[in-house]
Amino acid sequence: MVTKEQVEVVVARIRPFIQNDGGDIELVDVSGNKATVRMSGNCVGCPSASMTLFMGLEQALRDEVPGFEELVVV
Amino acid sequence: MRAVFDYVRVVADSDSSILITGETGTGKELIANLIHQASHRRHKPFVPVSCAIFAETLIESELFGHERGAFTGAIKDRPGRFEMAEGGTIFLDDVDDVPMSVQVKLLRVLQNRVIERVGSTRALPVDVRTVTGTKRDLRQLVAEGKFREDLYYRLNVIPITLPPLRERREDIPLLADHFLKRFYQRREQQARPLSPGVLQAFMRYPWPGNVRELENACERIAQTCTCDTVKIGCVPISVLFHRSTELAEPVIETHSHPSSVSLEERLRDVEQGLITWALKVAGGNKSKAAELLQIKRSTLGDRIKKLGLPDYGDEGSRSAATD
Repeated sequence: MVTKEQVEVVVARIRPFIQNDGGDIELVDVSGNKATVRMSGNCVGCPSASMTLFMGLEQALRDEVPGFEELVVV
Repeated sequence: MRAVFDYVRVVADSDSSILITGETGTGKELIANLIHQASHRRHKPFVPVSCAIFAETLIESELFGHERGAFTGAIKDRPGRFEMAEGGTIFLDDVDDVPMSVQVKLLRVLQNRVIERVGSTRALPVDVRTVTGTKRDLRQLVAEGKFREDLYYRLNVIPITLPPLRERREDIPLLADHFLKRFYQRREQQARPLSPGVLQAFMRYPWPGNVRELENACERIAQTCTCDTVKIGCVPISVLFHRSTELAEPVIETHSHPSSVSLEERLRDVEQGLITWALKVAGGNKSKAAELLQIKRSTLGDRIKKLGLPDYGDEGSRSAATD
């Protein structure tokens, strides 16, 4: 079972960078082995970049949070 | 770093041995080349050799050459790197990887300025300036008995120490700018500026691979980013998601390098580590974090501002942290 705190620690690591670029990332929900985040503002850059960031975050969560499976962006 | 360049200009024209100590990616070969170019030997060859890539038995023939029939597979005479560098400069990188048995021979070469090819008894005089590079502290290896003391003194006539990138963070924006310009130019495009978030990520990352790693990150950005400004999404994942920003306990590394240490910088790192740790443990609540650090809440606020730490404690979990 993944807890909100476990996910938040990883998300918090990149949040300051995103905020510095005028955007934000918010952890909406954690249920089961799945987490939902909301990205706002024109923070990330081009479409391929947001993909990179999404995949990076998902990979980091899988590496560091035991049992983590899926990241969803809304 | 500027001091290093000034120093290089001063020592370049002599024939004394130079020992360059620096972590991987700090530019040892670059400096060695610079020394060669600034010396009177610049019209003769500059021969860089990495001593780490050869098996123990191969190093000797690589450095000094061999005669036909000296060993199985030696089908013809072959000059060594010292001979190839005749009149110029030889750069022996990773000299700490040279095995003891070859160290003796290297010492003899440097002392007598003659080499003997493997399998030959003929002594060939060589006129070569030696510059060596090492990742590890040779003095310590000498103390541990892994490196010959006499060779160490022979090599270390003029020491040059290259600082790791994390100890000269003020250069990161300059270097990043330079590399981006170069890589975008290669694609015949205008260089793009870095967003504040990217700069922050770059400044915070410890760059274990030093300048080489930064160069690599910039190349990746130039190849993939098509935005007007390089934003956070284009930064390599390894840089973004590095854990250095949330150390469980602040790590104080022992400093075995002979290089100088900036007390201010070190203290700032420790302070930053402790504050980040406290904020994390306190779930972003500054009053609790201040209690953990046994300082006043207002003092903590001031220090966070002074260090330029992001206020993610307050922003990120506003619902939880009611100061």
